[in-house]
Amino acid sequence: MTMTLYHGEPNGPSLTVLSALFETGHAAELHAIDLAAGERHGAAVPINTEVVMSIEGEGPVLVADGEPMADSVFIACYLNDTAKSSPIAPAGAYARWEMMTWCRQIIERTAPAAAYLGTKAHLSTKLAAIEATAFEKMTAPIRSEDLKARWAAVRSGDFADDKLEDSHAKIKTAIDKVEKQLGDGRDWLLGAFSIADLETYAWLAGMRDIVPDAFADKARTAAWLDRVKARPSVARALGLATTPAPQNVWAPGPEINRWG
Amino acid sequence: MSNVTLYHWEPNANSGKPMLTLMEKGVEFNSHYLDLLNFDQHKPDYLAVNPQGTIPAMTHDGRVLTESTAIMEYVDEAFDGPKLMPKDPKDQWRVRWWMKFMDQWLGPSFSMIGWSLFIGPAVRSKDPDELKAAIDRIPLPERRVAWRKAIYGTFSEDEMKESQRRVALGIQLLEETLAKRKWLVCDQYSLADINGFNLAFALPVSQPQHCSEEKTPHILEWLRKIYERPATQKTWAMGRTDLAKRVKILERS
Repeated sequence: MTMTLYHGEPNGPSLTVLSALFETGHAAELHAIDLAAGERHGAAVPINTEVVMSIEGEGPVLVADGEPMADSVFIACYLNDTAKSSPIAPAGAYARWEMMTWCRQIIERTAPAAAYLGTKAHLSTKLAAIEATAFEKMTAPIRSEDLKARWAAVRSGDFADDKLEDSHAKIKTAIDKVEKQLGDGRDWLLGAFSIADLETYAWLAGMRDIVPDAFADKARTAAWLDRVKARPSVARALGLATTPAPQNVWAPGPEINRWG
Repeated sequence: MSNVTLYHWEPNANSGKPMLTLMEKGVEFNSHYLDLLNFDQHKPDYLAVNPQGTIPAMTHDGRVLTESTAIMEYVDEAFDGPKLMPKDPKDQWRVRWWMKFMDQWLGPSFSMIGWSLFIGPAVRSKDPDELKAAIDRIPLPERRVAWRKAIYGTFSEDEMKESQRRVALGIQLLEETLAKRKWLVCDQYSLADINGFNLAFALPVSQPQHCSEEKTPHILEWLRKIYERPATQKTWAMGRTDLAKRVKILERS
């Protein structure tokens, strides 16, 4: 099987997929792209409907035997299910349900909040400095209109107070949930190490500086963050960073649920 | 008595997804109908089962499962019967991608329109104080916000326009995809088709300007093929309201 992974800096969905790749031991050609410069929409990255319409926003693209795939949790499932054993997903229907449900809540609630706060803190000013015509040229190839609108909102600094407040609350909820889950002294969120640890870590690692109060007095979560970071796969992924603080590199992510 | 109980509303959207999956697998289950418009899902009896107050939920051997799409995968894996997840891991990826796309991008736009036309007006006829109390009882804060929007119809014109755009584009993507292959993600009937049918079965009546014999022949053929399956017939026979009866438009003339 031939695999090529187009990935951004090791943060958010790119960190999930890079780590999953290293956990599962697949050989893949790695292509670093600058997600925060819209390079995912350039001619070099293969696309199809699923990549163009991915609601994850600016995530990595894995091309396996010619087919481009998007959405980090599902790519990680694919990498797991094509590996020799099942290194990052538990066996058994109930344990799988626990993992998919956990990841679903991260994808749907935590990820949009983290991307909202992360792009406000670390991308908005950079995009604002780009001249209007150059920004238009950069975002012109983005085929998903709603994703393109999120890029424009980040550039114009259009961050609504209620959404900021809600995003802070969602990060706090996620951390509370992690702390509670680790309450029985377990090392990993669902017992054995899994995609749930990767995906949760990938979206939350950069939130420590942005929502510090969510992490206050959360000793178990702090130790878990350190454990995930020290995993050889995660350390290897983080080693690919071209900046000293990859957790501060953000590109527009999934949208905040339109129903509130 | 089966060791499986499903707490559900109408065969439609999230409730219909595990209902049809269980039927396709041939799993006997106890049906526990909750009237969504009567807020049964926020009453103590049900909160004792699912404290989040979301529908559907399923119990199996004493364990409680929530999140309709994750329940579908569980049902397919936990029980005998025809496999509804294809064997090829890449097809599995595609099943999950499409289910997420429908659950999080297309579905909310359909429901924004559907709720403003059907459910909002139906619920608004209730006593205002009773309605307010019912909303205050909803456990999840984000669901309280969503219900308020739905009931009082506070979606802005821009939000509704955006939903219309997504519905038109989503229908176009479905049509293009179904023109390429027999079922939504591969040549096998899968969980993605079950998910899609629950979202789209009423399209010819709810979105006739976008979905019709002339404009979307592949979608119509796909919906009819699913409608004709014995499991679909049995599932929709469990419906109690006009919402479910709309499925009859898929009868071949």
